[in-house]
Amino acid sequence: MTKGVKLLIGIVVLIFSVAVVFAVMGLKKSESTWVEIVQNNKVIYKLDLSEEKDRTFRIEYPDGGWNDVQIRDGHICISDADCPDHTCIKTGELRSENIPIVCLPHKLVIRFSDEGAGK
Amino acid sequence: MLKKVLAVTLFLSGLMFSGGCSEEKAVSEADMSSSSRDVFAMDTFMNMKAYGSNADIALSEAEERILQLEEELSVTSETSDIWAVDHSSGAAVDVSEDTALIINKAIEMGNKTNSALDITLYPVLKEWGFTTGDYKVPDDNTLSSLLKKVDYSKVHIAENTVTLPKETEIDLGALAKGYTSDEIMKTMEDNGVSSAIVSLGGNVQALGSKPDGSNWKVAVRDPFAPDTDMCIIEIADKAVITSGNYERYFTAEDGTVYWHILDPEDGYPADNGLVSVTVIGDCGLDCDALSTALFVEGYDGAVDFLRSDPSFDLILVTDDRKIYYSSGIADCFTNISSMEAEVISLD
Repeated sequence: MTKGVKLLIGIVVLIFSVAVVFAVMGLKKSESTWVEIVQNNKVIYKLDLSEEKDRTFRIEYPDGGWNDVQIRDGHICISDADCPDHTCIKTGELRSENIPIVCLPHKLVIRFSDEGAGK
Repeated sequence: MLKKVLAVTLFLSGLMFSGGCSEEKAVSEADMSSSSRDVFAMDTFMNMKAYGSNADIALSEAEERILQLEEELSVTSETSDIWAVDHSSGAAVDVSEDTALIINKAIEMGNKTNSALDITLYPVLKEWGFTTGDYKVPDDNTLSSLLKKVDYSKVHIAENTVTLPKETEIDLGALAKGYTSDEIMKTMEDNGVSSAIVSLGGNVQALGSKPDGSNWKVAVRDPFAPDTDMCIIEIADKAVITSGNYERYFTAEDGTVYWHILDPEDGYPADNGLVSVTVIGDCGLDCDALSTALFVEGYDGAVDFLRSDPSFDLILVTDDRKIYYSSGIADCFTNISSMEAEVISLD
């Protein structure tokens, strides 16, 4: 085996490993930390959970009613609400891209957002 | 030799780059732009996503269609078809074509599943409080007298005219959302949309494939941890509809858990070994009806059904924490739970 061949094999291995690293990084990126809070189809907040400070804020529903949204340690949930079923509170923290936090009576949805993730 | 290695290097790096580029391309092309719409109807959160230049018009029309169907099929709205039928005191009632079609399907599916699907269970469901949230365990006398009126074969339908025996009431909750997602798909197609996906409270139906030609990835919930996903299946042009015991349930004072899918046999929550049934097929209405019926039938009944009609695929979760899926989806099924998953054997 000549030096050149060894070198080229080295390059192949290098390119492959770099590609793998990029692929893994790419995958991680798609696990968005961006969430959107949507009230009856209007995006009222767009937040990057990795940047947000711990806080709780209230969202009023125009036809009456409210939900308290809590952000803590990069996680988001509805901590309190005056809706009758409290399904939104029971959902707990937002975890899955497929399962949003929903308050049906107040037409409120909190979900991961693929936009704004910064490419 | 040197040339060969060089060629391999170039080939490999080319492969990497082509893999990386295709996704970028998918995002940037104009006709692949998507629009999304939330609809709060039928006591469910619905999200629709459509691709292409007609997406917005299609979504608006689909939303109108959803609200129209809700109005026809609602069991609580006093102007609905179902309200009229349930308060007819035995008189014949004219209903919309949608309602008639769903009732006919409910009867057909009842017949195909040993009466496991029965739309006349509604008074029993009310007694348990599953319709209002005021849950209670009915006493045996009340239950047995209510069960006397439960028999879908007494529902008489001729064209668009429905007649129920007195004191019998129906509700189409086990079928309405499946039919609705079929109708959304039709509305999308009528508006020239060829790529769309909807989720009606977790029940998914897709039109075509993703705009880049790849399959949609659909998650099915873990019935033991309903806020997490259990498996991913890749589909195109299919409905993926789940009935699970986690969707609506309550815990009685003695600690017993009661869920909303009732067994027409005894009026109690169906407890035949399954905690979740997912049906995958071309027609949302069929899948919706079957997911309820096969939940009631249990594992053996579900596998029998699969033998009789292999055009559907199933994902069954048993109460001893095992996943069973049909061989038709073996290539596009990914288990992401800690449960064991195996292919259903039809031998």
